[in-house]
Amino acid sequence: MSSRQKELLELLDKSGADLYALLTRLTLREEVAEELMQELFIKLNNSRGAGNIANLNAYARRAAINLAFDWRRSQKRTVLTMGQAGEPVSTEDSPLRKLIHTEELTETLDAVGRLKKSSREVLVMRYLQQESYDNIAEQLGKTSHQVRALCSRAIRNLRNILGSNEHKSSNKEIHNVANR
Amino acid sequence: MSQIDENKILDCLKRLSQVVPGQEATARAIQKARDVLIAGEGRRVGLAPPSFIGRLMKLAAAAVLMIGAGFIGGRLSAPEPLDVQELQIALESSLKSSLVPAIQQELLSEMDDRWQSTLATSNVKVKDELARQVRRDLTEFAAQTLAASGTRTDQRLNELIRLIEAARIQDRQRMAAAFDYIESRFGSGLVTLAARTDDLLCAERGGPAPDVSEN
Repeated sequence: MSSRQKELLELLDKSGADLYALLTRLTLREEVAEELMQELFIKLNNSRGAGNIANLNAYARRAAINLAFDWRRSQKRTVLTMGQAGEPVSTEDSPLRKLIHTEELTETLDAVGRLKKSSREVLVMRYLQQESYDNIAEQLGKTSHQVRALCSRAIRNLRNILGSNEHKSSNKEIHNVANR
Repeated sequence: MSQIDENKILDCLKRLSQVVPGQEATARAIQKARDVLIAGEGRRVGLAPPSFIGRLMKLAAAAVLMIGAGFIGGRLSAPEPLDVQELQIALESSLKSSLVPAIQQELLSEMDDRWQSTLATSNVKVKDELARQVRRDLTEFAAQTLAASGTRTDQRLNELIRLIEAARIQDRQRMAAAFDYIESRFGSGLVTLAARTDDLLCAERGGPAPDVSEN
């Protein structure tokens, strides 16, 4: 067993649960998160530059975020069959409420996926992983002030994206009603 | 989301952060990831192998799209069919405007060259002819001059000879006159002087002096 594999096994023991939780939050599907988890460690194992990475944990988190949003983008282009659609993760009881909440979360995650890479990473680390600004700054090699600014900008952009989505959908509804 | 505000977004993000996978699923995922790492060959557990045909289909679709886009772009950017007459007129005017001045210039330069060469040849002939004429004239003039000078010289020489002859005659006449005068004045004295001189000479020699008076 190589030293890389040992490091990755240590990382898996130490942060595997967090990484899996992160992937689950970003995909909202446990089986997909499980697959992405494997893919993440394969990539980390095969990555040539991984030996020079100072903070492997932070690198793995960022890679997980990118993998999850890549998956989300690929899902937009493929049509899911009934068998492929798994049960969404939610804690609500009512099926309708569950559906609405899942819809909202999916929409929010899609909007997050449309942000710039740096903004997306900061937003996920801060609001989904609930990490501190200092911790994020340390992982990204930035100052805490810069991370705060990035978070603020990311939220503003997210709001704009969601607002434009809302505007488009409302216009579509009006158009549909008028056609009837 | 009917109303988009920051609180709503933050609420959604908070709910996302509260999504937690089950313990069993987490343990299973970690175990599978561990198996993948230990296998070390990059094989994914529980995942379908990447479909070669699917990739090929994707590549084929991408190629078809690229070719289609290229064809459409080419058709859109292709120039309109050419109007032959307009092209001919344009070519004529273009050729006229570009070739006529060049041809004129070329002809002018060629004519200049020919004239210059012709004039140069004529010039050489004229020069030779002139030189020959001048040489001939000079020779003739020299001959005439020589002849004239010879005649003149002869005349001068004859004149000189005549003058010299006249001067000699006059000289002789003067000498004769002088001798005549001397003879007339000192004739006897000279004879006496001669006789005495002869005596003296004989005396010095030791014999009688010849009689010179008879001479």
